[in-house]
Amino acid sequence: MDKFRMIFQFLQSNQESFMNGICGIMALASAQMYSAFDFNCPCLPGYNAAYSAGILLAPPLVLFLLGLVMNNNVSMLAEEWKRPPGRRAKDPAVLRYMFCSMAQRALIAPVVWVAVTLLDGKCFLCAFCTAVPVTALGNGSLAPGLPAPELARLLARVPCPEIYDGDWLLAREVAVRYLRCISQALGWSFVLLTTLLAFVVRSVRPCFTQVAFLKSKYWSHYIDIERKLFDETCTEHAKAFAKVCIQQFFEAMNHDLELGHTHGTLATAPASAAAPTPPDGAEEEREKLRGITDQGTMNRLLTSWHKCKPPLQLGREEPLLMGNGWAGGGPRPPRKEVATYFSKV
Amino acid sequence: MDKFRMLFQHFQSSSESVMNGICLLLAVVTVKLYSSFDFNCPCLARYNALYGLGLLLAPPLALFLCGLLANRQSVVMVEEWRRPAGHRRKDPGIIRYMCSSVLQRALAAPLVWILLALLDGKCFVCAFSNSVDPEKFLDFANMTPSQVQFFLAKVPCKEDELVRNSPARKAVSRYLRCLSQAIGWSVTLLLIIAAFLARCLRPCFDQTGFLQRRYWSNYVDLEQKLFDETCCEHARDFAHRCVLHFFASMQSELQGRGLHRDNAGRSPEPPAVPEPPEVLDSGSGKAHLRAISSREQVDRLLSTWYSRKPPLDLAASPGLCGGGLSHRAPTFALGTRLSQHTDV
Repeated sequence: MDKFRMIFQFLQSNQESFMNGICGIMALASAQMYSAFDFNCPCLPGYNAAYSAGILLAPPLVLFLLGLVMNNNVSMLAEEWKRPPGRRAKDPAVLRYMFCSMAQRALIAPVVWVAVTLLDGKCFLCAFCTAVPVTALGNGSLAPGLPAPELARLLARVPCPEIYDGDWLLAREVAVRYLRCISQALGWSFVLLTTLLAFVVRSVRPCFTQVAFLKSKYWSHYIDIERKLFDETCTEHAKAFAKVCIQQFFEAMNHDLELGHTHGTLATAPASAAAPTPPDGAEEEREKLRGITDQGTMNRLLTSWHKCKPPLQLGREEPLLMGNGWAGGGPRPPRKEVATYFSKV
Repeated sequence: MDKFRMLFQHFQSSSESVMNGICLLLAVVTVKLYSSFDFNCPCLARYNALYGLGLLLAPPLALFLCGLLANRQSVVMVEEWRRPAGHRRKDPGIIRYMCSSVLQRALAAPLVWILLALLDGKCFVCAFSNSVDPEKFLDFANMTPSQVQFFLAKVPCKEDELVRNSPARKAVSRYLRCLSQAIGWSVTLLLIIAAFLARCLRPCFDQTGFLQRRYWSNYVDLEQKLFDETCCEHARDFAHRCVLHFFASMQSELQGRGLHRDNAGRSPEPPAVPEPPEVLDSGSGKAHLRAISSREQVDRLLSTWYSRKPPLDLAASPGLCGGGLSHRAPTFALGTRLSQHTDV
């Protein structure tokens, strides 16, 4: 009992802190990935924008989906959404709560990536170097004389210092400083905006539907814990099943040997005396089996766990395995005794 | 301390957690291996592609095989696939489930290597520098085609005299790296979308079948482990009894000789075979182990375990003799008990 309570507490404390921990680790990993990633602007007119847009958007999407995939609650949400109602009604508010909480945690790493990218500036520089106002920043008189493709080709090389050859038109440092400044301003605005949004959502939420929120939070935690405990109970059952099966196999072998060796050389008395009575350790294992001792019953138990989840009401002793295909629809009406009178007219 | 022990037990309890741990370890080893590997492009026309592609594909293959080797469940799966049906019918769904879980975990480390190689770019640049279209780069206008090919082959080597400080080399190298990174990120994105969809959509298809297959594949794994443990226990018990038996028989032989010397007329007593002392048999339920007490019996037990696994029905009374004892067919020995359980 004590062990069970310790396990329960461990699971309870583990759920929220585990996901928060994963979220924090992914945010750090996101920043680390950016610094390890070797940004490599192609410096060709058509490709710059595509490359930068890709680097700004693809890794955040990957991180977001990774955050969702690593969260076990995703498959739990899908299961809860797709299960037949059985004897337990489905509550869409709980599903919405689960989805929101998962999405919020998964959004942190992408936001960190976008913020770090903008604050660093290389991506922005690569994307918008061809849109720099040459007339304002460089030798404005020379710019109109150049054909547009030539101008684009020149400006596209701004992010690459070793191949830039347009110093006569526009000093590279000027363009780089200009674009990085804009990028950092955008980056800080983005950070401020997201932080403000998060703050507003967090402080304002209790003003609306706090009761519904508490209920959704409770039942979503409940569903998660119930699923974990079911998996653990199944594993315990499988272990007990295996132990008893193997013991019976050894006993059966012994039994077999005795039948084969009745004219016998080694009918050892203690062994034959012990075979009919199950050893003490086996009793404990058999209790863990909770009466489910064969494959067909176990399969039916697993089927009805999915198709017909038990109601959220403890203390009712109705049998669950009522034969195949009983989906249930609600609690059964109590039986009424009806007396009929037959007249002999 | 208690919490750590519980944490350890929690991870050890499920074989899935152990396998996840091994998979993660292998991925970390891959990252370390890639970063410490000294990439060395040959910069010769025909060898570049071979080296680059070889390095992109051969280590992942080796890592995949390592992943399969390190995973105990791959052996369990093959055993379950090849065993004779015996008293327990075989379920192909379980074998498929185990196969897919083993493959998924084994694929993690190779994918990490391939993605790292693509995002880094060196392999790609080395392999495809000769396949670049020189038209894209204006610097090759005044070179003969063979000169161009020779030049392109040297692109991956920054320090070579021909291409050192050449803007053309930098442009080609930059272009190829950019392409490599784009492919790397696209592959990552595709994989992660596939993983996400697989995780989301799985409960929409045959959830009950999935629960059953997961339970029984876990069972098969546990049963294998427990059988190995029981055999070890039995071997220990057997060895112990054998040794004690030997000492006891030696002792009684000495006693017998002593008696014979004292009483010359009597026929020598056959060395008695006393029961091994009961000190270690504390009634802890090991009687079923002590019954198997000879080499032939042990061999027979092991071959029966392989050729005729017991049925998944614990209510059946022990008795392996007589063929065709399956949990489907009612038998003379079990009477009415089996007929209650209908097949799902």
